[in-house]
Amino acid sequence: MDSLYLLIPIALIFCAVGIKLLLWAIDDGQYDDLDKEAWRILAQDEPSEAGEDTENQESQNNRD
Amino acid sequence: MCCPGCQAVAGLIAGSGLDKFYDQRTAYNERPTAAEDKIRDQYRVYDEAELSGQFCDTSSDGEVAANLLLGGITCAACTWLIEQTLSRLKGVRQAQVNLHQSRLDVRFNPEQLRLSEIFAEVDALGYRPRPFQASTQRQQMRAEYRADLRRLGVAGFGMMQVGMFAVALHAGDLQGMESQYQGLLRSFSLLVASFVVYYSAGTFFSTAWKHLKQGALVMDLPVALAIGLAWAASAWATATGSGQVYFDSVVMFTFFLLLGRFLERRVRQRHAMTWFDAQSALPDAVTCQRDGAWVSLPRTTLAGGERVLLRAGDTIPVDATVETGSSSVREETFNGEHLPRWVDAGDTVYAGTVNVEANLEATALGSYRDSRLAALQRSVEAAQTEKPRLAKLADRIASWFVAGVLLVTSATAIAWSQIAPEQALWVALSVLVISCPCALALATPAALTSAASALRRSGVIVRGENALEALSRTTHLLFDKTGTLTEGRLTISHTEVLGTLNENKVLALAAAFQQHSNHPVHRAFSKIAPCADLKNIHLMVGAGLEAQFEGICYRMGSEQFCRELAPELPAPPDIPLYWVALCSTTTPLAWIGLSDQTRPEAAEVINTASSSGLQVGLLTGDSSPQALVLAQQLGIDEVHRSMQPDDKKHYVQSLQAESSVVTMVGDGLNDAPVLSMADASFAVAGATDLARTQADFVIADGNLEAVTSTYNMARRCRAIILQNFAWALGYNLFAIPLAAMGYVPPWAAAIGMSLSSLLVVVNSLRLNRLPTSWRA
Repeated sequence: MDSLYLLIPIALIFCAVGIKLLLWAIDDGQYDDLDKEAWRILAQDEPSEAGEDTENQESQNNRD
Repeated sequence: MCCPGCQAVAGLIAGSGLDKFYDQRTAYNERPTAAEDKIRDQYRVYDEAELSGQFCDTSSDGEVAANLLLGGITCAACTWLIEQTLSRLKGVRQAQVNLHQSRLDVRFNPEQLRLSEIFAEVDALGYRPRPFQASTQRQQMRAEYRADLRRLGVAGFGMMQVGMFAVALHAGDLQGMESQYQGLLRSFSLLVASFVVYYSAGTFFSTAWKHLKQGALVMDLPVALAIGLAWAASAWATATGSGQVYFDSVVMFTFFLLLGRFLERRVRQRHAMTWFDAQSALPDAVTCQRDGAWVSLPRTTLAGGERVLLRAGDTIPVDATVETGSSSVREETFNGEHLPRWVDAGDTVYAGTVNVEANLEATALGSYRDSRLAALQRSVEAAQTEKPRLAKLADRIASWFVAGVLLVTSATAIAWSQIAPEQALWVALSVLVISCPCALALATPAALTSAASALRRSGVIVRGENALEALSRTTHLLFDKTGTLTEGRLTISHTEVLGTLNENKVLALAAAFQQHSNHPVHRAFSKIAPCADLKNIHLMVGAGLEAQFEGICYRMGSEQFCRELAPELPAPPDIPLYWVALCSTTTPLAWIGLSDQTRPEAAEVINTASSSGLQVGLLTGDSSPQALVLAQQLGIDEVHRSMQPDDKKHYVQSLQAESSVVTMVGDGLNDAPVLSMADASFAVAGATDLARTQADFVIADGNLEAVTSTYNMARRCRAIILQNFAWALGYNLFAIPLAAMGYVPPWAAAIGMSLSSLLVVVNSLRLNRLPTSWRA
């Protein structure tokens, strides 16, 4: 049972690292928009081929 | 397709392979107005460094980062669509939309792409881009949001750690445990719990203290007391190796309470992010005379005394005195009416109104700050501070509760110090801990959050803080007329045929005329198929139209204008409608009476409201007798006519002075001050931008029945809150005597507390699930 004296402080160090990471992520703005992130994984599909062509033409028009 | 705009957008979306948008959107978008080329041209003013510097940063490698505020974003699919479309533009490095703030951050290369093209692209998708001005309010809100999240995160981590130690401690209590290990576990619990109390629960202490200094007992006070004392008692127990520790309860309570408040605030802030900004209604570019030529300039650079050109069909950008020309001006911004006012040289026109008929040249009177529209904005801001605060139910109960708990605790301590002095401290503390107002504190936020999300799904967006509570106690229900009780657009309600042509032919001819008009009357005819082409059409500003049809000259317009052509035209029928005459050189043909149709559900809504005991009233800017007719039809007794935005506000204020609780239903910019003043307010959004309404509830689909259903929901929400309170108080009444007698072990207290909170949450979720009669 004496191992508790070592294991509990180690657990607390992990906990502290976890909190530190979380606070960093919050300050970095990663949690600012919780609604969108839930959708992002569903929206990652590449747009279809037809879309790519239109896009190229469009951006050329836009450059003019 | 509802309009050419939608068609263009749908074409753009499908053509770019982005039709996934339609699968993923969770809410319908606001109806876009038709995107015209001249609107695109307006964005060119943002290419000027002077203006773009206010919301753009140029980095060292030449890239520009711009922040735009987007109007009309409704769900996550919108953000995806905008991001996908923009990131395919050549020159755009990165596009990020934040739904929570309706904000677009875009990084682009200014050599490949102009800023105005990004604006135009977003506009083409049907959203309204504006420069994002980082207001202090907005920054503060973001800072608060992050601080909430940080506290919640820390409390969550702490809860897991302390929970693990607590399991070991409780198991130790049952099976027996060496005191050195118990001491070890308690010490580490103390360490973690102390950090959580300091970092996460600190907000309860500061709020409670802030209010206590002002002599108010708020919900945060019992919360702070319970957390503080339970922590202190446990710390004492740890230090002395005696008694019981409650660290797990302390941390768990902190976490759940923060979670409840975080969710509640998130629901509320979701739509509060778009601030009322009357200026957003104005065009960004003005045409003004510099060195004898007309040039397009950013509106903000315009000074008083300059000559400006006000084009027909455009929103007037600045208060001005008309110099040459005459036209009519639609002033629904200020009076809510759609029939325009006639203006001539020497008359004043106001920023935010629409020039209907002909181009005008005018002299600007001053900058935006001096305009009538800015005064309206200030009136809204004033109303927000003057609005009486209704005491929250939770806070009223809290003050009694705190007083009661403190009384019982002192009584217990005194009693036990007589019976068994060595136990007095521990029993008194266990009373305080068991009376931990977790369920009490969760009762309101849980119910409000649940009700708000149920309303949102039925098309009512809840923005206002505490509005549901105010609505449930409302005594007066006031309506605006145009656009609220009525559809807000003219329709043909009566046709008096005078000549040989029958009604259908008359209307077809009239429709042909109105194709060439941009007077608001023309919309009434838009659904009628016009007859063959007219020739030699002349628009007589302020009078009507003249045209040739099959060789004969026809006129349509005012009585006087038509009588010039056909002197035998009789007076219009004696019904209070807006009459338009149609005649030919030989004979008068018809009088067409137009009116604003009452919404079909209005009568039912008013009937329900009066039968549930509410005082129903009508406040309108209209001075015509039509308001009285409408009120009579709908059964409204109290009618106030010719009211300016400020009059409405003062009327509501006078009702509130008699301690009435007022709910106002309105639309549009002219109602903004009164909506801010009322205790609870509805805006029938229809065509109006969210950013321009100031209401607690926004009825997104324009169906007035939402007023009734929201009122019912508010009543039900109040009932649920009361049930929650009854349960939480009942639980305390039952458990406190037991604790006072010393019968409650800490594990039972912890389980009781959690179950009690769980029950409150489950009860609140019923609001979300009960069958609702939205579209009954």
